[in-house]
Amino acid sequence: MHDMTQEALAEKLQVSRQTVIAIENNKYNPSLDLAFKLARMFDMPIEEIFEYEEDRDG
Amino acid sequence: MNNKTYRRYRIGIAIFVAATMSMAVSMDNTILAFSSVIIAIAFMAVVRSKTKRIVDEREVMVRQKAAQMTYAIFAPTIGMGSLLLILLADESNYYLEAMGVVLSYLTLFLIALFSISTLYFNRKYGGGHGKE
Repeated sequence: MHDMTQEALAEKLQVSRQTVIAIENNKYNPSLDLAFKLARMFDMPIEEIFEYEEDRDG
Repeated sequence: MNNKTYRRYRIGIAIFVAATMSMAVSMDNTILAFSSVIIAIAFMAVVRSKTKRIVDEREVMVRQKAAQMTYAIFAPTIGMGSLLLILLADESNYYLEAMGVVLSYLTLFLIALFSISTLYFNRKYGGGHGKE
């Protein structure tokens, strides 16, 4: 969609590539700060990127 | 220097220390053992200063969970171990009691440190009797 590598995205967000992979694979819930950064980067509302699920360990 | 290069250096240093340590043990050479550790520490310090390492929120969370688990396992183990040593001690192996006492003090120190740091971080992040 945005034609960006995981490495490039990680660098822009100032996180590791493993964190980007973990978010993509639904293994890690990012903090609000990181979620907002992602939303701003993709110019989308947070709810379109993340879906709230109950009983998920952060 | 990025994370990947840093990890490569770290593995290299670990191999170097393991090799020189095994050599030092087989040759019974204390100077070699000490010098290899000192060289490794110095080299790691240089490498770390040249690296732009990213410690992000996921890594912090991983460390927190690892620390929690370590405490949850280590505190009861060392506590029960010290109790067992004190109970097993008799006149023929009196040193067990001394070891048990030392371990029990270490357990108390560990618990005290955990409690104090919990209190500190709880206050730092808005817990306690603040304004409502």
